[in-house]
Amino acid sequence: MNTANIEDTQGKNILLVEDDQRDAELTLAALEEQNLADQVFVVQDGSQALDYLYHRGKFTGRAGGNPILMMLDLKMPKVDGLEVLKVIKADEHLKHIPVVMLTSSRETPDLHECYKHGVNAYVVKPMDFTEFKKAVSQLGIFWAAINHPPLPEAKWEL
Amino acid sequence: MERLTARKQAEAQLQQANAKLKAWAQALNSFAIVEETDPQGRITYANDPFCRISKYSREEVIGRDHRDILISRIHPLEFWKKMWSTIRNGKIWRGEIQNHAKDGTAYWVDTVIVPLLGRDEKPETYLAIGFVITERKLAEEEWKRAEKEIQDLNTALEERVLERTAQLKAANDELEAFSYSVSHDLRAPLRHVSGFVELLEREAEASLSEKSLRYLSTISKSAQRMGELIDDLLTFARIGKSDLQKTNVSLAALVQEVLGDFQTATKERNIVWDIQLLPTVHADPALMRQVLVNLMSNAVKFTSARAGAKIEVGSSSSPTGDTVIFIRDNGAGFDPRYAAKLFGVFQRLHSRDEFEGTGIGLANIQRIILRHGGRVWAEGIVDGGATFSFSIPKQRTEA
Repeated sequence: MNTANIEDTQGKNILLVEDDQRDAELTLAALEEQNLADQVFVVQDGSQALDYLYHRGKFTGRAGGNPILMMLDLKMPKVDGLEVLKVIKADEHLKHIPVVMLTSSRETPDLHECYKHGVNAYVVKPMDFTEFKKAVSQLGIFWAAINHPPLPEAKWEL
Repeated sequence: MERLTARKQAEAQLQQANAKLKAWAQALNSFAIVEETDPQGRITYANDPFCRISKYSREEVIGRDHRDILISRIHPLEFWKKMWSTIRNGKIWRGEIQNHAKDGTAYWVDTVIVPLLGRDEKPETYLAIGFVITERKLAEEEWKRAEKEIQDLNTALEERVLERTAQLKAANDELEAFSYSVSHDLRAPLRHVSGFVELLEREAEASLSEKSLRYLSTISKSAQRMGELIDDLLTFARIGKSDLQKTNVSLAALVQEVLGDFQTATKERNIVWDIQLLPTVHADPALMRQVLVNLMSNAVKFTSARAGAKIEVGSSSSPTGDTVIFIRDNGAGFDPRYAAKLFGVFQRLHSRDEFEGTGIGLANIQRIILRHGGRVWAEGIVDGGATFSFSIPKQRTEA
């Protein structure tokens, strides 16, 4: 696996975990309108997300600490969103990261599972783009600008 | 002199008693089987009905052991033991015996055996009186056979129901998995179509012709519509899945609530709502709400071309005591020939240009009402309005 350009993560404090590139692009487009796109770092699956959080694999020595917000897709190859959520919420150093589950699914079993494991918000991606944009940008604004994180924003040592 | 009179009197009494006995015997002989045997069971007397029914002549039976010539083998040994011990002890026995006539045909006799005791208090003669009950016995046997048959059928049916239930459950689970993947996998591409069309619009709006923009808008609307269809289908699939949360639902309150929801949408319209007194039903409130929203919004929709739209919501009682709710409008109506088609999934009786809708609403209603054990039906004529009715069974008083 290639080592990521460590500088890429500089100044990025929103982690978007999304295996579908089109969804990632749409999410970024929505966040762009709130001037939040620059803060977003995108990984494509759960295992990359965990590598990112634990500064390991290709993210060994990356810049920055914990993200101030994670947007996590539920259904992903390899390690899915629910598994990532479980790891985060079970880890003393990670469990304070607000995790927003972004999903296509309206099925209730998913919802229950996510709340059981401490998800901070659960958002069904609206099918209509205008609605989608509204949802994503509201999430970005709320968690990146309005909400006060419980811990110092950047934790440099883990 | 006095003694003579007493004897004469006694003789007269005896004569009278004899005459009475004779009359009794005559009466008995005319329709009952009468048979006498000695203590060993040998026949010492047999009357005419006995001979007629057993098809033996008197000569053929006198002196023969009753058991040798008449008794069929269907009774267990225990049965006979009990009978003999009863009559040997000087007690009266009564029971139903199957005999065989000379030609082999079986007949049943409801029999009373009276032991006539001798001086030593031991039975000297057994007097048997019986009535033929063959027809009743046959009917009973037929009844038993039918009962057994029904029981067998029921058992088979129960087995089939179990089997079918298992199959249905498997199908249901599959449907669940299917709707999950529909929800996931079909929605994503639609979101992308809708999303990128808008991004394209934003990027290229200035350089696109009006025609091109219209194309984009059509793509966008189609994606949106497909999204609605998927959502409606999922709702439809879900109605069959979840458990009913039944409680007492005031339809009057529910209708008012739904009316409130329509206020904004119908502000510009001139609709006369005629809401009659409505009962309370035992049903799932969320699903009842869905039914009312759907039927009432249909009425609003299909009266849109009427200047004086009138929508009536009322109730009546069915002959079986079920509650019937109807929603009547004076709108576009429908061709009654297609009334049954209305409740199918994706069935539409109007073009989409005329009236909006995905064609799943009434299918949902039917599913909801059927799950409540009720019925749903529609009456209408083209341009003469429509009446949609559904029934909700009265709550069964369960122990």
